[in-house]
Amino acid sequence: MVLQNYVILETGVPARVHFASHVIERRTITDPRTLQPATRNVLVFDVDRLNGKEVMAKYSVMAEKHAAQFEAYLAGELYRGYDFIITKRGEGFRTVWTVEAIPLASRR
Amino acid sequence: MARKSRQVEVRMVSEYLLSAYASFPTIKAVPLGKVAESLMAEQGYAKAIGLMRPYRPEVDAVVVLPRYLVLVEAKVWNVVNGLAKLPLYKSLVPFTPELKQYSNLEVLMELVVGWTNDNLEIMARDQGVKVVVYSPPWLADIVAKQHNYWTAEYQQERQRKMQMRELLGLE
Repeated sequence: MVLQNYVILETGVPARVHFASHVIERRTITDPRTLQPATRNVLVFDVDRLNGKEVMAKYSVMAEKHAAQFEAYLAGELYRGYDFIITKRGEGFRTVWTVEAIPLASRR
Repeated sequence: MARKSRQVEVRMVSEYLLSAYASFPTIKAVPLGKVAESLMAEQGYAKAIGLMRPYRPEVDAVVVLPRYLVLVEAKVWNVVNGLAKLPLYKSLVPFTPELKQYSNLEVLMELVVGWTNDNLEIMARDQGVKVVVYSPPWLADIVAKQHNYWTAEYQQERQRKMQMRELLGLE
């Protein structure tokens, strides 16, 4: 098992993850543009597998657009039945995440 | 009308995929089209794909079925735009490096909408696009507001709100 606190995506590099559970946290962050504190809801997944290796890590989703890609899987923790290959593209406000959902029954 | 920044269409496509294709691989936000080979040779595959990003359109989702690759575009607003894009997107699939491994699959097109009408269906049939109405309760409210936008009642209410905002100095 690999101890890694957070899964950090590298732009253009796909990461295959499996989520074990999730919480929605309320966090105070510093807005990078205004440098003022702001409160945000953050979707945090516990990751138990990363690129085929067992890990104990968290994957934090702050962007509403990215969170919406997982929203349908949250009820009943449906995400547990899938591996997700996430590829981050672009930077800042123009970041886009390509998310491939692979049912574990059809694991490739 | 709901703000588009609420990511209504992202949520819509995500839910739809789970309801219709839960047991098949799906890919959301897929860039389409060529990445110049010279750029790939010069910069490497990953960097070339990043550099080409502004010039490649993106389909909402792709579903990988045993014999078919389904392009899915979800629209709440501008539904005809969604319909018009799909055949163009389909033309790019054979040139998309990310989808190269699926080149043996026949490409199908689906437009997922909150509501439909006869003319949309006629145009979709002509273009070989399947129209799927997906309207869970949370989306039905948004669709209803959209339909009411041009009614006299809605416009009067909107006018009243605008006046109030002006009166309160909120604009």
